[in-house]
Amino acid sequence: MSKNVSKNHIKEHHTPPENVPFNKITSELVSTTVTGTKKIKQISIILSILSLLGILAVIVKLFNDHDDSTKWGYVAALVSFLLSVGGGAPMVAIAPVLAKANWIRPITRISAIFSLAGVSTLIMTIPLLIMLPSLIVDGVRRRSIWFEGPVFSPHIWDYVALLGLILTGLALFYSAALPDFAVMRDHSSGWRKNLAKTLSRGWVGSDSQWRTLRMRIGMFGTFYFLILIFVNFLFSTDFAMSMVPGWRDAIFPMYHSITSLQAGVAIVVASLWIIRKYFKLERYIHTDQFWSLSRLLFGLTLLWIYFFYSAFIVFWYGRSANDKAWIDLLITGPMMWVFITSALFIWFAPWWWLIWNKVRRSVNGPIIAAILILIGLFLDRVRLFVTAWSVPTESIHDKYLTVIPEIILPGILDILIIIGGISLAILPVLIISRIIPVVSIWEIQQFNLLSKPVKYIKTHGVLVAKPD
Amino acid sequence: MTTAEFGKQNWGMVVDIDKCTGCQACVLACQSENNIPLNTQDRFERGRAISWIRIERYWEGDFPDVNARFIPIMCQHCENAPCEPVCPVYATYHNAEGLNVQVYNRCVGTRYCANGCPFTVRFFNYWEPVWPESLRNHLNPDVTVRSRGIMEKCSFCVQRIRRGVRNAKKEKRDVRDGEIQTACSQACPTSALVFGNLNDKNSQVSKLKNDKRNYKLLPHLNLEQNVIYLAKVDPEKKIKSHSEEHVPHE
Amino acid sequence: MQQRRNLSQTHTNKVLLNGQLNVPKWWAPTVSLLGIAVLIGFTAIGIMVNKGLGVTGLSRPVYWGLFITTFVFWVGISHAGIMISAILRLTQAEWRRPVTRAAELLTVFSLLTALMFPLMHAGRPWRIIYYILPYDFSRGIYPNIRSPLIWDPVAISTYLTGSTLFLYVALIPDIGNLRDRTSGWKNALYTILSLGWRGNPRQWQMQTVGGILLSALMLPIFVSVHSIVSWDFAIIPAVEGWHSTIFAPYFVIGAVHSGVSAVVTMMALMRWLWKWDDFIRPEHFDALARLLIVVATAWLGFTFLELIFALYGLDAPEIALREMQMFQWPWNLLFLIFLFTGYIIPVTMWLFKAVRSNIALMFWSSILVNIGMWLERFLIIVPGLARKQPFVFTWEAYRPSGLEWLILVWSFAWVTFLMLLFSRFFPLVPLFEQKESQIFTEDVKIGRAKVPAIIREID
Repeated sequence: MSKNVSKNHIKEHHTPPENVPFNKITSELVSTTVTGTKKIKQISIILSILSLLGILAVIVKLFNDHDDSTKWGYVAALVSFLLSVGGGAPMVAIAPVLAKANWIRPITRISAIFSLAGVSTLIMTIPLLIMLPSLIVDGVRRRSIWFEGPVFSPHIWDYVALLGLILTGLALFYSAALPDFAVMRDHSSGWRKNLAKTLSRGWVGSDSQWRTLRMRIGMFGTFYFLILIFVNFLFSTDFAMSMVPGWRDAIFPMYHSITSLQAGVAIVVASLWIIRKYFKLERYIHTDQFWSLSRLLFGLTLLWIYFFYSAFIVFWYGRSANDKAWIDLLITGPMMWVFITSALFIWFAPWWWLIWNKVRRSVNGPIIAAILILIGLFLDRVRLFVTAWSVPTESIHDKYLTVIPEIILPGILDILIIIGGISLAILPVLIISRIIPVVSIWEIQQFNLLSKPVKYIKTHGVLVAKPD
Repeated sequence: MTTAEFGKQNWGMVVDIDKCTGCQACVLACQSENNIPLNTQDRFERGRAISWIRIERYWEGDFPDVNARFIPIMCQHCENAPCEPVCPVYATYHNAEGLNVQVYNRCVGTRYCANGCPFTVRFFNYWEPVWPESLRNHLNPDVTVRSRGIMEKCSFCVQRIRRGVRNAKKEKRDVRDGEIQTACSQACPTSALVFGNLNDKNSQVSKLKNDKRNYKLLPHLNLEQNVIYLAKVDPEKKIKSHSEEHVPHE
Repeated sequence: MQQRRNLSQTHTNKVLLNGQLNVPKWWAPTVSLLGIAVLIGFTAIGIMVNKGLGVTGLSRPVYWGLFITTFVFWVGISHAGIMISAILRLTQAEWRRPVTRAAELLTVFSLLTALMFPLMHAGRPWRIIYYILPYDFSRGIYPNIRSPLIWDPVAISTYLTGSTLFLYVALIPDIGNLRDRTSGWKNALYTILSLGWRGNPRQWQMQTVGGILLSALMLPIFVSVHSIVSWDFAIIPAVEGWHSTIFAPYFVIGAVHSGVSAVVTMMALMRWLWKWDDFIRPEHFDALARLLIVVATAWLGFTFLELIFALYGLDAPEIALREMQMFQWPWNLLFLIFLFTGYIIPVTMWLFKAVRSNIALMFWSSILVNIGMWLERFLIIVPGLARKQPFVFTWEAYRPSGLEWLILVWSFAWVTFLMLLFSRFFPLVPLFEQKESQIFTEDVKIGRAKVPAIIREID
């Protein structure tokens, strides 16, 4: 019995992947900036056209609907979606790096690149700021976190925080990319070489430069996390909670943050699958990466239901007029089918898919969950923000909601804006892949130094050095 | 059709603040009728005094323009009671006659229901009740004497309700309005407390509850109480109608 | 940070088993003293059950006071076990090794103690059978599953069962070790408990897989238990300061903060009492302190959110409550102490490596944390009850009686007593984990540096 067990045991294990030699890493990864340029050019042109259409649609909408804030719910949902996905993705690089996990190494670059998607968020937030109702109307101040702030508090400070987030993300991306810009300077040609020369800013790989690099990554990473939570807190409260009278939900900012992290992991899973396939990075991105990411994704999916239920149980049990209005507005009322679909996509289906070890430990399994989660997140944002913005301006300053507003369907302008916003977010990611490799060269090379596959009795393992 | 059957009544009370003089006769009557333990000064100071109906009194203004405002508060017998779902042993539940009942012999004394009640009309027996020898014969035989560790509260004198309904059934007739009186409504000298069947359209409570001065305590909690208050008439102020649901602005 | 010590198997066996094979001199007097304290506590509880809850300081409307605070506190401490043994085991963190068993033990005993509080403070404790078990013991009425007081025993007993199983599964190899070194009645006891442990590969595989499975199963329980306890309060709309949606994760993160600090306290004590300097090293405290900084900061974030959204509603009763809780005597003092001991002093200390590696400072800072966390529960539960709704006429103060304080102290004596009793028969540091660590770690030369390394299984 024991013999059979140990035989199957060994058969299921595969040998750990061999370390790729240093030169090969450099040449293969640098070449990813060159291969496939034509296709990427084509896609970028299409995305640029869609983005332009989206921005045009925003301008047209501002002309038509500049006096009716209830029509801007879908734009708010889009901004929240972009903020969640683009803001949450860099977190995938930050937390495991701070925890000194090694599986994250091939992933750090692609997840940090998503901070560039924040440009789209910044642009798409501007019409929202114009349309956001003021805090005080006729001397009556509606509930908000800005206790003593002037009338334009959410307008100014939310944007400043968002700007701070994107700048920190960019700083994080740039600091971690310095050694790779140096590699591009030394190993590529043409305009790439010239661009990399300026961007690498005299990187030679000295001791003090490496120390500074590590310190910067730690600092920007921690700061990014704190500011991400803060931006989620501001955005979810000012653009959703305070727009519905009587909605007092202390967990909503955390719910927004957790779904943001979940979306970030999902988009990283999806991008990782895409770059592995189309840039032929099978030697660098292994099952281990997808396995760890899908464990994270599974955990975050469970956290979704946890945070959702924490709010739900309090409102359901309380049964006051206020509580009932919340449940009616967001769950059982006009948004019921959106809620059911989004819950299915963001929680139920990914849970039952990712719970299987075989799915988690494969390359092609987690991406299905990732796509489901992204769709589900978008529906969830529609549910939250469209309803919040659909409360008519007359009742926005009441003590609590008495009439549940009707569901608002998206118009053609809304659809153009959504498509344009998402295209504008993807565009910089594609462009940057031509300038710097999407997998971090120095991280992979560093892992080579630290790890060595070993044989231990009858099995295989990896010996990983753990310097301070 | 006889309404003297279990389940056909919906017992409620109307409290007219304008008529209430704050004399506390209701408090005394309730204490006698329901075998409530004696409240000594020590118990008041320790916050353990039990009075199923109490007159809440608030002072306003400074001497010599002092004003006392008071309101009798007893269990509101909420349809949507916050105290009912939290009891782990079903010692409190809403019966078919609209009463929020407390089952003494089932109560374990976790006091969770008391935390849930926003009016704090639920009382816990911290000690065994003790009556002096001279008061031994005053106990009402129709009402359980609660030992320590048990929650209690206003029951709309359910023993009187039972007796009234039983008598009416024996005589094969309906329960007449005003026939069943709670101890407090019976004792009130100004008829500020009116008790009756809210299901009976001709009863006094049904007519009074639609008075334009009517309101319920803490309406935003959506408790659907069976106790309706009629606001005090202030000749200086114009009365706003409370009968429609309106949402105050902040 | 991690120095590799060369610890032979003989040395490991001798030192870690010296609690069982050669009982230290301080053990008997300490346990007797604690036993007396425990007896006094039980007498106090007996008096309370006999005479009635009047002997406490509870009143109307403060119906829940010290007992429920301490109940939530002990449930919080119990989260240490899962955090340390399950999560760190699943993430293959090496520095968990000396701590796992003590953390699991603390979980089991603190849960036992926590369970006793709601039962002893019921008005008629001899009738709790009405709701403790899911059966209609009287009048054909089952317990009310809509009540959070039913969810509590279900959650806590599930956690207790899981933790006990987990503790036991991890204990079996060490019981086998002890069986081989004892004789007489002890040998008989260990033989039965070791379930025929021989240490062959098949048994090791089952033990490891069992541990991993239990770890994974316990994780959702870890999150849900304290959430359910927090929903005792969160779902009540009548009490200001209670009706908040953030309670579930807030309590859980507070529990992790409190629990991991308790483990730090325990580890320092273990090192001093049994002289386990080779096994419980400054680097373990350093790692725990770093974890604590993250957890404590997250906890502070949740506290801040809870406060902001309490005031967000602009309800007069809620604002009156917060004013009292933060600015009026004696609550203002308690609030300040809570903030300083719960976060400001400990975390500021832990930012410095010198403090993190100093075991005495870690010990005292972790005790400070738990004082702060007990006060946090007190500040959540009691002020809301004392200032219920706008009916100012019924506002009342809470003055806990001497008996309540005595029972609070008893709970600490009881948990320590149980742990010391356990240490007489079973080793508090898992031997097999230590030996495994010796095999898994190596020193590697990278360039000119010698760096510690760990073997990680691929899958």
